[in-house]
Amino acid sequence: MVENSATAAVKTKEMIKTPSGFNIIWRELMRDKLALISLICLIGIAAFVYGVSLVLDQEEIVRVDLFAIYQSPGEDFILGTDYGGRDVFGQLIIGTKNSLSIAIIVTLMTGFIGVVFGLVAGYFGGHIDNMLMRILDFFNILPFTMIVIAFVAIVPTYSVLTFSIIMAAFLWMGIARLIRSKALQEKELDYIQAARTLGTSNFKIIFKHLLPNCSSLIIVTMTLNLAANIGLESGLSFLGFGFPEDTPSLGTLLSYARNPQTLEYRWWIWVPASVLILILMLCINNVGQALKRATDARQRRG
Amino acid sequence: MGFLKVEDLKVHFPIKGGFFGRTLGYVKAVDGVSFNLEKGKTYGLVGESGSGKSTTGRAIIGLNHITDGKIEFEDKEITKIHRAKAEIRKDIQMIFQDPYSSLNPKKRVLDIVAEPLRNFERLSRKEERFKVQELLELVGLSPESILKYPHEFSGGQRQRIGIARAVALKPKLIIADEPVSALDVSVQAQVLNFMKEIQRELDLTYLFISHDLGVIRHMCDHIGIMYKGRFVEEGTANEIFNEPQHIYTKRLIAAIPDIDPNKREELKRFRAEVSTEYEQAYNDYFDEEGLAYGLKPISETHLVALPEKG
Amino acid sequence: MWKFSLRRILIMIPQLFALSLLIFILAKMMPGDALSGKIDPNIDPARIEELREEMGWNDPWHEQYARWVGGVVKGDFGQSFRFKMPVTEIIGQRIVNSFWLSLVTLILTYLIAIPLGITSGRFNDTLRDHLITGYSYIGFATPLFIFALVMLWVFGFQLQWFPTSGSVAPGLEPGTFDYVASKLYHLLLPAFSMALIQTYSTIQYLRNEIVDTKQRDFIITARAKGASETRVYNNHILRNSLLPIAAFFGYEITLLIGGSIFVENIFGYPGMGQLLVESITLRDYSVVTATTLLFGVASVLGALLSDIILSIIDPRIRIK
Repeated sequence: MVENSATAAVKTKEMIKTPSGFNIIWRELMRDKLALISLICLIGIAAFVYGVSLVLDQEEIVRVDLFAIYQSPGEDFILGTDYGGRDVFGQLIIGTKNSLSIAIIVTLMTGFIGVVFGLVAGYFGGHIDNMLMRILDFFNILPFTMIVIAFVAIVPTYSVLTFSIIMAAFLWMGIARLIRSKALQEKELDYIQAARTLGTSNFKIIFKHLLPNCSSLIIVTMTLNLAANIGLESGLSFLGFGFPEDTPSLGTLLSYARNPQTLEYRWWIWVPASVLILILMLCINNVGQALKRATDARQRRG
Repeated sequence: MGFLKVEDLKVHFPIKGGFFGRTLGYVKAVDGVSFNLEKGKTYGLVGESGSGKSTTGRAIIGLNHITDGKIEFEDKEITKIHRAKAEIRKDIQMIFQDPYSSLNPKKRVLDIVAEPLRNFERLSRKEERFKVQELLELVGLSPESILKYPHEFSGGQRQRIGIARAVALKPKLIIADEPVSALDVSVQAQVLNFMKEIQRELDLTYLFISHDLGVIRHMCDHIGIMYKGRFVEEGTANEIFNEPQHIYTKRLIAAIPDIDPNKREELKRFRAEVSTEYEQAYNDYFDEEGLAYGLKPISETHLVALPEKG
Repeated sequence: MWKFSLRRILIMIPQLFALSLLIFILAKMMPGDALSGKIDPNIDPARIEELREEMGWNDPWHEQYARWVGGVVKGDFGQSFRFKMPVTEIIGQRIVNSFWLSLVTLILTYLIAIPLGITSGRFNDTLRDHLITGYSYIGFATPLFIFALVMLWVFGFQLQWFPTSGSVAPGLEPGTFDYVASKLYHLLLPAFSMALIQTYSTIQYLRNEIVDTKQRDFIITARAKGASETRVYNNHILRNSLLPIAAFFGYEITLLIGGSIFVENIFGYPGMGQLLVESITLRDYSVVTATTLLFGVASVLGALLSDIILSIIDPRIRIK
């Protein structure tokens, strides 16, 4: 009996150390009903939006039609039209596509900057870490919305790319901090020391040893960041500092509600977009939280 | 002509603090250690935890910053070599204490064992695979296991993988940092005997670091006893175990357990004796800070840390 | 503690320097300068050049920077070329409005979050806890501007319980009771919108802290001695958990600043956030620079304040 429980203990210990952690994460996700529904929802929305926007004629949708302004939902337009007579439903599809795309681009950019920054600071430690952390602290205290708005206002050639670069430039700190502390822990482990004695270069150690061992943390953080970025992007577009009007995002539709008339009487313009943003953010957050539980052995549900 | 010569090695870690993170003082992990290592022999570094034995090993291979002193390997000074690709890395390798953390959990055995080969030798995929299989066979693992991950092996098997990795480049010196202390006692002997085997086969020299005198006795030709960053006694295995001179060494040896139950009473009395002697003579063997004195030769190979007067 | 505070303040100096430099560069990059808006296009270009020289626009950048910083320190942010008056004057009233909005929001946040956090922690894994956690999680996942829009729609337009724009009803004499009451009335809806959304971190922190402390030995000892449950909570658990909450308010300032820009624009509340957006749309760059700088300085000071208070409460962080 004692023998058995001892081997069982060893086994569980080994299970936790299992590197094929992706299987575990996947299993956990499948077990978490809410997260599973959210994931299906997300995939559905994304597939629908990207699929339909292939068929939709974007030029047609953003073209102003003065004979059809502010039409309420009906036969001609499922979700009515805005002040330019543009089809809200079509804008919703394109807006969701644009919002999702830019959120993904920004998440990847911040992920890249943050991971490299965090790994370098954590692996080298000492003076390098000190210096990098000072820089991070500085970026951290900047009021994000203000700085981004100011930058967006002055950039001469304003496009989706410059917008995402500006956003990413002030959003990489969170993930950098997390990766740094993970790297600080991880580099004390013998396999990193071993790699050094085997003549592996620092560059290789960082990207071939440290990076794979931070992968689950990176995936979880980036998922949660994706949700946050959708909110940030639509917020900036709402204020009028996001996408230009000919590339509508979900925030652009909401920005029409800054006109009190629209807010009060023409709900069809801004309510669907709000609901969609909420659904997207909740779903992505649910998936992210489930991933977080799955990668944290203490929180695992069993 | 020496194989490995360590001269007055010092590794001090600064204690940061105060207003601007100034250095307030130093932890003297290794404080003036000298010894020589002959080719093909095994040198044992013994001491309690925190005595600086592991730091010494890590400093030699370049994992710790060396504050002062000199290390010569085959008459070449290697104290200041930090480059990853330095040839010296091929000749000195290390076996780590914890077989669980010393293998990257995200890598297959093939990648783990091939890592040093990829750093120093240009092999084709096929050659590399063949070489790794050869190495696995050498350490007694099935060559089919190259695609498995570390967690699929037991502690003893993992340590063998670590050894395969360490010998992949045909090194001359292997620093073994407590290679068996994380293993079950039943597996310890297996791994130790196996290490002796490959020592003969590959003509290796070991610097064997351990806190376990039983293991050291089994493995080593020469022994250095460390205490608080300094040597208290150095000599051949015979001299250390049969004629210990320093009071600290005596105490360590008295603490070795004996499996013969008939000797239990005798051993107990002996330990009590040594313990009283240790307390009474403490001031004769250690200075005011509780550190060992410099080493004085009492025979050709036997050195003991004794105060000037005695 | 003094040592830590002093060191923390010393760290702040390069931060402020970098902040001012960043904003100065922003200002320099902005298209056009104060003159291009001010001057009649019929004026001789040579005269413009003369004026530029006079204003120091042709000096090396570090001299311009030094002059600008010198002005800022004395409270001189230059001239707004849209409103033709000193920026400081424009900002004056707005800053007061923003300050009150932030203060009321902060108070409301704590009034909502602390009781909920305590309930959630004390009765963890009950229905009550799940409801509270669910609410704060939805708050966390909802963008502030959407929530604020909905609040304005429901309580401002549909139910008409609250005013839908402005900071005070027109025609009231400053200093009278009615004036103050009207100000507060205008504040409530925007402040509630922000507060309800921002409770997540406080509730979660309190909950985790209480769940943790609950199982500590000294709490079990207190219970074993026969202290009543209320006494255990008031004297032992809360004392440990509430102080850090109070200290976090400095960090909350950054959040409040970020939120104010949305809330002020949605509720038409004349504060700094609204000013920033307005002046960018009007290309009134000297105002943009000034507001951005002030927001930045407020964040820096907030972080400083929290760090110092935390170091007093929790000696462990002083080591770092």
